[in-house]
Amino acid sequence: MSPLLSVDDLRVTFETHRGPVQAVRGVSFDLGRERLGIVGESGSGKSQTGRALLQLSAGNGRVTANRMEFDGIDLMNAPEREMRKIRGARISMIMQDPRYSLNPVLKVGDQIAEAYRIHTKASKRDAQKRALEMLETVQIREPGKVYQMFPHQVSGGMGQRVMIAMMLIPNPDIIIADEPTSALDVTVQMQVLALLDDMVRDRGMGLILISHDLNLVASFCDRVLVMYAGRVMEVIEAGHLQDAQHPYTRGLLNCAPELGHPQDMLPVLRRDPAWLDE
Amino acid sequence: MNERTGMIDVQNLNVTFGHGNSEVRAVRDVTFNIDKGESFGLVGESGSGKSTVLRAIARLTHDWTGTITIDGAALSHRRDRATARRMQMVFQDPYGSLHPRHTVNDILMEPLEIHRMDRREARVHKALEDVGLGIEMRFRYPYQISGGQRQRIAIARALILEPEVLLLDEPTSALDVSVQAEILNLLKSLQREHELTYLMVSHNLAVVAHMCDRIAVMNRGRFAEELTTEQLRSATPTEGYTRQLLSASGSYDRETAKSFVSFE
Repeated sequence: MSPLLSVDDLRVTFETHRGPVQAVRGVSFDLGRERLGIVGESGSGKSQTGRALLQLSAGNGRVTANRMEFDGIDLMNAPEREMRKIRGARISMIMQDPRYSLNPVLKVGDQIAEAYRIHTKASKRDAQKRALEMLETVQIREPGKVYQMFPHQVSGGMGQRVMIAMMLIPNPDIIIADEPTSALDVTVQMQVLALLDDMVRDRGMGLILISHDLNLVASFCDRVLVMYAGRVMEVIEAGHLQDAQHPYTRGLLNCAPELGHPQDMLPVLRRDPAWLDE
Repeated sequence: MNERTGMIDVQNLNVTFGHGNSEVRAVRDVTFNIDKGESFGLVGESGSGKSTVLRAIARLTHDWTGTITIDGAALSHRRDRATARRMQMVFQDPYGSLHPRHTVNDILMEPLEIHRMDRREARVHKALEDVGLGIEMRFRYPYQISGGQRQRIAIARALILEPEVLLLDEPTSALDVSVQAEILNLLKSLQREHELTYLMVSHNLAVVAHMCDRIAVMNRGRFAEELTTEQLRSATPTEGYTRQLLSASGSYDRETAKSFVSFE
């Protein structure tokens, strides 16, 4: 079976007044109907990889790739008109903090309904009905009441459920979730992940989960790309995280304090300049 | 009398914000004490009141009742210079807590000027050295240095007055794990070197367990449970709330996530 999304030698370079900055340097991967994690520290290029897929890189960014293909469509050369049909409808993106990604002056329910109406020719009433159903799907207890709320009235966890509802309502093939739970409390984080888990299982979607939390991602995803300085250091099958070979991955794993493994001082990550080489 | 000497003693602390219908009791009847040189951790989810306890002790919040005693002396609601010198705070976000238009030198000099300390140059050098930074940092601006270096500057600013107590409010949650390890190591060795007493707030159980001897778990303004790090590590907390927090802090597990309940 051919993959949903195929990326070969993706590069993102930003022109700055101090010269070009290479944020992504030759990333390649295939995504099927699976959960793929992209993990790395800040500045490793994980978010820029996600953004480049939807042509959402900042204006001073230049994206090149040998191939970036989604369901037979060349994402590198697709005109803006075609990208608009893909963004949201077929590949959608969940951002980190619902406080900044929701429109503060629109009721959350109307924002979900809007997402549906943009991608289908549904009537206003149909879209409202679908939005209410969607709120129920993301396990919001009183969908009718929450529909009428404004973003500042909902909690962080509820806001993220609203975001997920909005992204899922056009029934996309791929979801790119960029740190979807980092702003949430641990119990809420687990609940939101369980929800994403259900959606991917029930609807057969592909999920790209971008995060800085190696342990969490490995326990959630099927496969994990570990990124450093714009490059993929290692691809790990989830469940084999503890057998990771690359010294960078090992370093990241070791330097986090663990409840079950008390130690006086934490090992510090030593960065090898050779990891920067292509 | 006990051999141990108390550094921080908090009795029946209550913090209430707002009036009437919009009244929020952020902290309810919280009592604890910390010995000299000990590390005490407050954990809980957002809104549990953990940071408010810290802010009341630092007198950044005025709406508190109860008694707060530092080394035997009861605190008033007003901040006074003498206690401020003995008790300093490190905040979560080094991007927000350092003045963007002040150089590192300005940032470190300011507390020395306020407290009319002598040998300022020497103290700035010493503080930078203590946190593992070179003196070439002195004339940089916060935007010119990394997040980890910024947090080191925030720690240097707290240490420059030679305090006995550090109030640490999520000091590493804005940092990458690799940088977090460096900062936690630094805080541990500084504590030994300067015999500091730490009160640390965090949502991360593993971080608090790594740093602290005793831990209080907060939920909705109250202490749900106070326990030693060993009890937390051996997974024998008695309260359901603590157990749930513990199971949410590890790896993702579908069944566990579905079993979560809310604790009122």
